[in-house]
Amino acid sequence: MDTLFDHVTLSRIQFAVTAHFHILWPVLTVGLSIFLVLMESLYLKTGDKRYYDHCRFWTKLFLLNFSIGVVSGIPMEFQFGTNWSPFSVAGGDFFGHMLGFEAAMAFMLEATFLGVMVFGWKRVSPRMHLFATSMVALGGSLSAFWIMVANSWMQTPTGGVFENGRFIITSRLDAIFNPDMPWGVSHMWVACLEVSLFVVGGLSAWYILKRRHAAFFLQSFKIAVVAAVLVAPLQILLGDGSGIAVFHHQPAKLAAIEAHWETNPPGRGAPELLIAWPNQEEQKNDWAIGIPNGLSLLVTHSWTGPVKGLKEFPRSDQPPVTPLFYAFRVMVGIGFLLFFLVIWTLWAWKRGDLTPDRLPTRKWLLYSWIGAVPLSYLAMETGWITREIGRQPWILYNLLRTSDAATMIPAATVGTSLLTFAILYPLLFILFMGFARRIIVKGPDTHAG
Amino acid sequence: MGAIESHLPEIWLAIIGFFLLYYAISDGADLGVGILSLAATDERERGLIMGSIGSIWHDNQTWLVLLGGMLFGAFPLFYGVLLSALYVPILCMIFGLVFRGVSFEFRENSRHPAVWSRCFGVGSLIVTLSQGFALGGLLGGLDVREGVFKGSVLGWANPFSCLVALGVLCGYVMLGSNFLVFKTAGPIQARSYRTSFAASLMTLGISILVHLFTAAKYPQMVRKLTTLPEAYYIAVFPVLAAFCFVMLFVSLRRKRELAPLLCNAGIILFSFIGLSLGMYPDMIPNVVSSAVTVHAAAASKDTLEFMLQVTSVLLPVILVYTGYKHRIFQGKVTTEAYSGKDE
Repeated sequence: MDTLFDHVTLSRIQFAVTAHFHILWPVLTVGLSIFLVLMESLYLKTGDKRYYDHCRFWTKLFLLNFSIGVVSGIPMEFQFGTNWSPFSVAGGDFFGHMLGFEAAMAFMLEATFLGVMVFGWKRVSPRMHLFATSMVALGGSLSAFWIMVANSWMQTPTGGVFENGRFIITSRLDAIFNPDMPWGVSHMWVACLEVSLFVVGGLSAWYILKRRHAAFFLQSFKIAVVAAVLVAPLQILLGDGSGIAVFHHQPAKLAAIEAHWETNPPGRGAPELLIAWPNQEEQKNDWAIGIPNGLSLLVTHSWTGPVKGLKEFPRSDQPPVTPLFYAFRVMVGIGFLLFFLVIWTLWAWKRGDLTPDRLPTRKWLLYSWIGAVPLSYLAMETGWITREIGRQPWILYNLLRTSDAATMIPAATVGTSLLTFAILYPLLFILFMGFARRIIVKGPDTHAG
Repeated sequence: MGAIESHLPEIWLAIIGFFLLYYAISDGADLGVGILSLAATDERERGLIMGSIGSIWHDNQTWLVLLGGMLFGAFPLFYGVLLSALYVPILCMIFGLVFRGVSFEFRENSRHPAVWSRCFGVGSLIVTLSQGFALGGLLGGLDVREGVFKGSVLGWANPFSCLVALGVLCGYVMLGSNFLVFKTAGPIQARSYRTSFAASLMTLGISILVHLFTAAKYPQMVRKLTTLPEAYYIAVFPVLAAFCFVMLFVSLRRKRELAPLLCNAGIILFSFIGLSLGMYPDMIPNVVSSAVTVHAAAASKDTLEFMLQVTSVLLPVILVYTGYKHRIFQGKVTTEAYSGKDE
């Protein structure tokens, strides 16, 4: 009991539970706010009332989503102090003010202008309103930026020295622009865009399928498709880049993700396993099916490039292989599925199917778009599992172990707060789905079509 | 530059103090309004009361997030130790904040708004009491040795912190009533005048007791108050706070609309400065062994300096757009303003 559910394990589970639920909301906040800026600009430019109706409709969903995102995120910030006090003290010199900047630059901007955006339609000029919406969008993206800078730094902590249990910054720029940062920031930001595109596209597809305001939602559907043409392949490229960065800076993480135990001997390439049964106890795979030379090719861009095996790292420095191996494959698989869906849709567009009369009959295409909504969220969640479990057993990579970073509080106390979160957050999720469903079923108030 | 460099922790203490005060005054009013909504006569009135904070509660609450982040950045040791020592009240506050925040939004979309407005009120009450107990726990002293909290996880639960929690509750109710006096008219306003009067009397009594108990606990406070000329600098703040109390009662009697809220802000401001100066240089008081000082709790000089540069640009920007927004939404609250629909 003590070893299984000590304060460290419980604090980790608590952080994982709150983080996995919390992140569901901000991704949509970041992407949907950009979509709202686009719709509002189109309205101001064309004067077409339907764009205004789009703004009003998606804003309802946005507001519900935003509010839950904000309040569910408050525990994230405070848990660093309550449950990860030694980490806060050790890494606070850098990590702390990143969170501070996030709040001051991004969060405040977002929250203040949200009021103007939602309540201010009749109180400010149209241009000022567009400005407010843009500030909400800017705030969302800036907030993602700072959080990802902070998280990347935990993956690849550079820019200082670790002395007497505390990280002392020597170069702030090196810490901000740590090796993982460009990939962490871009991959997550584009993930926000991609999830939001599929939410807009998927919900529009649902209305079109039901033949409710088909022409109206064809507008948003087409915008989602056009944006997805850029975003879906871009995300695959960024994922590839992140993988190469992990290979260079977190080799144990890469080996674990790939269930790659033995360093491939010179002249022989490492395979990319598609499916495997990793056995960490015996440090091998019980069985595996893979593409020969695939891994070497992917991360070293040569047929036989050497890739360090996990066995080269002591057992105490290895992350758990099985969850990483599968979480990563679910994420990548969905990334490609979404890409194929986009190609399929383009093909349908070329055949002239994207009209209010013909699109409702293309049922499988529309079903796929609806199905893509949960899938895109799943890809984002499994991506985070890969990123965070892959960092284990470190909280600050190669500097501070997770097991040394949790606050010494009685397990019963952490257990109680964990239990409360474990009831509260799923309940929030269910209520959110219920109210979102009500907004969706009610539909938009439209001036036309 | 030299003077600034050696006093960076003090400068940051002042900035953090500003964030804390802004939060306590703005969101304190929101929380008070939430608690007062429990006493509303019907759902329409409850809607009006909640509507008075509809467009501002998000940003007011964000000051807490800002406070947390900046405190973490400038005083990592304080952040880590304080939050872990006060684990239970902080977590209760968080649960309350989550509960309260979603209730506000769910109410908008629900067919049973009464259920969610009650949840909003109860959530506000939980947040208020948790903050009171956390403050009481800190003022009562925390046993910190070598940067680690050594006390009990329930150490904050004592008669002194109960008194502080009650004080915070009365204080927020007073703020909430004064805010409603400013933002509403008619029967709600009339009732708020009376509530504010009663809550102010209670707050006055409790804050005198809290000041006395705190002074009795920490001999350095008494020492400062009895050494000249230091005593002048410190004693001036309780005197100013008392003056604000007098002005508050006067303005309530004269049925002023904005003055009570301003006097109230003055009370909080001056009591806070007085207490902090009394505690200085300690940041985490300790009745068992030595306290954690402001300098010991602070981040490195480089970080503080960098944060100061960034904040000196950001804070004015924040204050400008916050002020602009308050101008957009000035005036009395109406039923329409609440719903967010076309007015």
